[in-house]
Amino acid sequence: MSEKKIYQILEMSLWVLNPLLLVLAVYNQVIQPGLFLQWIGKLHPLVLHFPIVFGILIAMYLLFFNNRRVPIAIEKLVLVTNAVIASGVVICGLLLSKQNSYDGDLINLHKWGGILIALLSWLSIYLLEIKVELKKYFAIFFGIVLIFSTHKGAQLTHGVNALSFPEKAEASVAGNGETVAEETVYKSIVAPIFTQKCIGCHGVDKMKGDLRLDTPEYIIKGGKDGLIIKGEKNNIAMLIEVIHFPMANEMHMPPDGKIQLTAREISILNNWIKGGANFTIKGSELNKDDSLKLFVSKVESVSTPKFEFKSNLPDLKEFNSNYCTTNYLFNGSDEIEVNFFQGTFYNSENLKKLEKIKDGIINLNMSGMPLKKEDLDIIVQFKNLQILNLNNTQLEISALEVLKTLPKLKSVSICGIEFEDSSLEKFLDNAKFKELNIWTVKGTEKSFEKIMVKYPSVKITVGDNMQDQVMKISNPSIEQDSLIIPTHVDIKLKHLLKGVVIKYTTDGTDPDSLKSMDYKEPFRLFDNTVLKIKAYRTGWQSSDIVSRTYYKSEIHPDSILLLTQPDPKHKGNGAKTLIDYDLGETNKYTDKWLGYQNSTLDFLIGFNELKTLHSVYLNAFIEFGAEIFPIAAITAQGSNDGKLFKKIAETTFPMPKKDDPSLIAKIFTCKFPEGTTYKYYKFSVSNVKKMPAWRKDRKGKPAWIFIDELFLN
Amino acid sequence: MKEFLEHGLNQNRRKFLSKLSLGIGGLALGSLMVPGMFDGSNEDELFSNVLPHFAPKAKRVIYLFQNGAPSQLDLFDYKPMLQKMHGEELPASIRNGQRLTGMTANQAKFPLAGTKFNFAQHGNTGAWFTEALPHLASMSDEMCFVRSIYTEAINHDPALTFFQTGAQVGNRPSMGSWISYGLGSENKNLPAFCVLLSKGKGNGQGVYSKLWNNGFLDSIHQGVQFSSGEEPVKYLTDPSFINRVDKRVMLDEISALNDAAYKNIGDPEIVTKIQQYELAYRMQMAVPELTSLQNEPESIIKMYGPECLIPGTYAANCLLARKLSENGVRFVQLYHQGWDTHGNLPKEIEGQCRDIDQSSAALIKDLKQRGLLDETLVIWGGEFGRTNYCQGALSKDNYGRDHHPRCFTIWMAGGGVKPGVFGETDEFGYNITQMPVHVHDFHATVMHLMGIDHEKFTFKHQGRRYRLTDVAGNVVHDIIS
Repeated sequence: MSEKKIYQILEMSLWVLNPLLLVLAVYNQVIQPGLFLQWIGKLHPLVLHFPIVFGILIAMYLLFFNNRRVPIAIEKLVLVTNAVIASGVVICGLLLSKQNSYDGDLINLHKWGGILIALLSWLSIYLLEIKVELKKYFAIFFGIVLIFSTHKGAQLTHGVNALSFPEKAEASVAGNGETVAEETVYKSIVAPIFTQKCIGCHGVDKMKGDLRLDTPEYIIKGGKDGLIIKGEKNNIAMLIEVIHFPMANEMHMPPDGKIQLTAREISILNNWIKGGANFTIKGSELNKDDSLKLFVSKVESVSTPKFEFKSNLPDLKEFNSNYCTTNYLFNGSDEIEVNFFQGTFYNSENLKKLEKIKDGIINLNMSGMPLKKEDLDIIVQFKNLQILNLNNTQLEISALEVLKTLPKLKSVSICGIEFEDSSLEKFLDNAKFKELNIWTVKGTEKSFEKIMVKYPSVKITVGDNMQDQVMKISNPSIEQDSLIIPTHVDIKLKHLLKGVVIKYTTDGTDPDSLKSMDYKEPFRLFDNTVLKIKAYRTGWQSSDIVSRTYYKSEIHPDSILLLTQPDPKHKGNGAKTLIDYDLGETNKYTDKWLGYQNSTLDFLIGFNELKTLHSVYLNAFIEFGAEIFPIAAITAQGSNDGKLFKKIAETTFPMPKKDDPSLIAKIFTCKFPEGTTYKYYKFSVSNVKKMPAWRKDRKGKPAWIFIDELFLN
Repeated sequence: MKEFLEHGLNQNRRKFLSKLSLGIGGLALGSLMVPGMFDGSNEDELFSNVLPHFAPKAKRVIYLFQNGAPSQLDLFDYKPMLQKMHGEELPASIRNGQRLTGMTANQAKFPLAGTKFNFAQHGNTGAWFTEALPHLASMSDEMCFVRSIYTEAINHDPALTFFQTGAQVGNRPSMGSWISYGLGSENKNLPAFCVLLSKGKGNGQGVYSKLWNNGFLDSIHQGVQFSSGEEPVKYLTDPSFINRVDKRVMLDEISALNDAAYKNIGDPEIVTKIQQYELAYRMQMAVPELTSLQNEPESIIKMYGPECLIPGTYAANCLLARKLSENGVRFVQLYHQGWDTHGNLPKEIEGQCRDIDQSSAALIKDLKQRGLLDETLVIWGGEFGRTNYCQGALSKDNYGRDHHPRCFTIWMAGGGVKPGVFGETDEFGYNITQMPVHVHDFHATVMHLMGIDHEKFTFKHQGRRYRLTDVAGNVVHDIIS
């Protein structure tokens, strides 16, 4: 085979390899190499040294050998060989990276650096003919990338300090839990703070202020300003002083711009020095109430659970339904939590199904499920169960005895389950769980005090049943919104709480617990009525009185016509607004109100035959702030032919005072003389023409009237 | 020779095509190792499998948002210095030329206003409480105070939007929507994100539905607002002439039609629609059972106070929040309006405290007695703080305070936070001196407690990956137990 042929094949193969390696790099998170490819990956350390050596030689050649060049065909052959091997190494590396878990930053730098090397090597083939100077820049850049990223690779396999100068052994940062308690407090939690945040400037390399914090001896010795862990002036140790200075102070340590101590670290140093800066005391020897104990045990608890990422866990889909959800505690965990919802749909089949994953379940919430004794027999099979919620499950406490066989059970909640003290004690005898939450109708924290003392190993939380609290009950409500009685109206009363008695009167007197009627079922009102209701419940104060006035409106006119037009912004639904049996609300901008300011409200009603009227009521809204005043006067006229009207009655109302109620709807009545019978009636409703002096700046201006309904009787 | 070489370097069509085909071959070879690369599954689906990233400390959140910004100086962050210097001018060295709102920037004077309330320390943590919050003070040992939270926004709407969505402008998904998207609902019969509104008598600021909007996430993650009336969820009850069976048949037919449309058009919103119909159908059963107070024991009602029997009050919402949360709703968001105390602060804040004190304390107590506090994170706080100087006229016992974003206090309870008092402000209560916590840090911490790495939890929209914490945020490990 000629050189040319070899070159061609190699060059072509680059066009395959490089796209391939890009795909592998971009989708590195999701690719799943098979066994053979995993083996290919293992070739990475074997071949990686070729492109490093080649690469360095190429960079040097491009830099220094421009005057004495070898034949171009050889140059090209070397370059292309290097590029192919470089790409191959990167592909192997990408496959290898799937097999081990490496430190995130390092692996990323190494990965993308390596890819850059492969691509630059490829590019170098086509750069032979470019300008000498550019070639030199390229060579320098290539060399730097090469050294930098391959060094990252070295750090991956040989550790971060692969090439740094050998040092004395560093203080080990707290390791796993068992050793922490047996390690000195200094070594486990104090020294790591110095190592991480201080010895950069106060260590063997730099000794600012002649102070070293890397060994106990130097720490005790202090620096050029004196001792640091024993107080000289004011008896405050200098170390404590400097970490507490405000940031702006020059003496503040660590200095502005360096990584600062966390609150946790500050309190560790505080407590350690307060306790005499003991270098030899061990975690296990600390007093129980020593604050340092807390920090030591925290190191333990943080480091003890060694988590192992699990894959190939069973899919939980089949155990999920609308009323039961199961899921892994988090991605990669094999611990399962289970929640049941909506007791009305509970079915023990769902629980039984969980037997298939019984070893995974650590948290089970059955709150509110109507459980039976048999259900507990299923639950006790969940050997790894830690947290169990049985609130409001209607179980007997004696049935819970079986739960004590669960070896890992930590916390049980049985709120709403009633029991005698003796049965609770029985349940607590030899109990291994650590927490119990209870709530009963009778029990209070006080009544369980004895039991709490007797069983100190269990933390019992007793829900408050608020027995001694007497409270006022909220008001009952009336279901109907309408206040109008066309012929009759059915009244329905209700209260949100169970066991409430609602008393009511319809004669205007205040309801009381003895004489007034109990509300049992809806009742019917026929005539103008003042309804008053009040709620009672044993153990509670009675509610306020809710009062409502109903208006009879039995006569409905056959036609109605507005003679004066309302303000265009408040024109409602025209004339029929007044007789639609629909009262407006406090929002006056709805189309349930007619508003007048510049004229009186004049309207005409007509009947198909003669009609006797006794009275009319008009419902009006009052809001002084918006200049809506009560009606000033109502004038009524009658006619039989619709042309000639005769005055029937006129009622005037007094000017309101400043303190009269505002923001309410009020009924205005005009009574007719006995025997008033006409076919047509005409009404004129006038507004206050000049507002009184107390309405300050609007004094003397006309007020609004807002009317929403007309009742005829 | 040279021509010959140059010929070799030149590109022609044959070379181009053959190299292209080789390249594609390389890509194809690589793709064999990427499972599911071409079957159209998008990366979003990967999320549901990888969340939570690590063991969560809290499974559910109840966020008691105090809309309008409560005054930290009159509630939790006790500053005797202000009482001592009551009426004196705010030192320029403290303000340091920092920005003020348009409401007080033109004031000729900035007289310091000491709180009118008496303060006392409570519990083992020694947290300070105003006398207006006696019930909460009794829960001191459960509460984790962060006195050094700060924001950049200076007005209500942007500040509120910032807290809810991680951005000051609208259109981003709300925090609850993110959680719903990431973790889904525990209970399939209820939405994962519910919203409850109430209003105090104090000076109020608006709440808008954009605050619980799903933004660019699927609309199924939008917060469902519960209203105070007869029907807590609007349009949920069927008309009297439709029964459950008919309804089921109708829904099946509709979903068959929708399904056909989806296969035809491929719009993901159609799938969302189907899911929403199904959820609503199941909610028809679950919600009335849940919102009824009939099954609550008397003690619970007494604990939350008589107001909890009046729908739409903060107390009623707290009780409902506990019930929703207990039933697996991931994120319950309350808003209580009326904390915007620019003037007449002492009186207004007393009223607001009365609204929230007993029921907020009851919520913590109630969760605790059910063994649920360990897995439920309760958060209480506003959108910013209030100034140490008086807005408007200062008298001996009346004053007002303007917006102050540079430091304020929030508290949390349960769900993996450490009881205690964290962070510190200077003695004037104007700047932070220790452990500043930005809104992004707060979001990052809440996500962390829920088992989510906020940096890895993204959603790709219009070519950019979005996070709740945008490009910032550090988990505040100091407050995590």
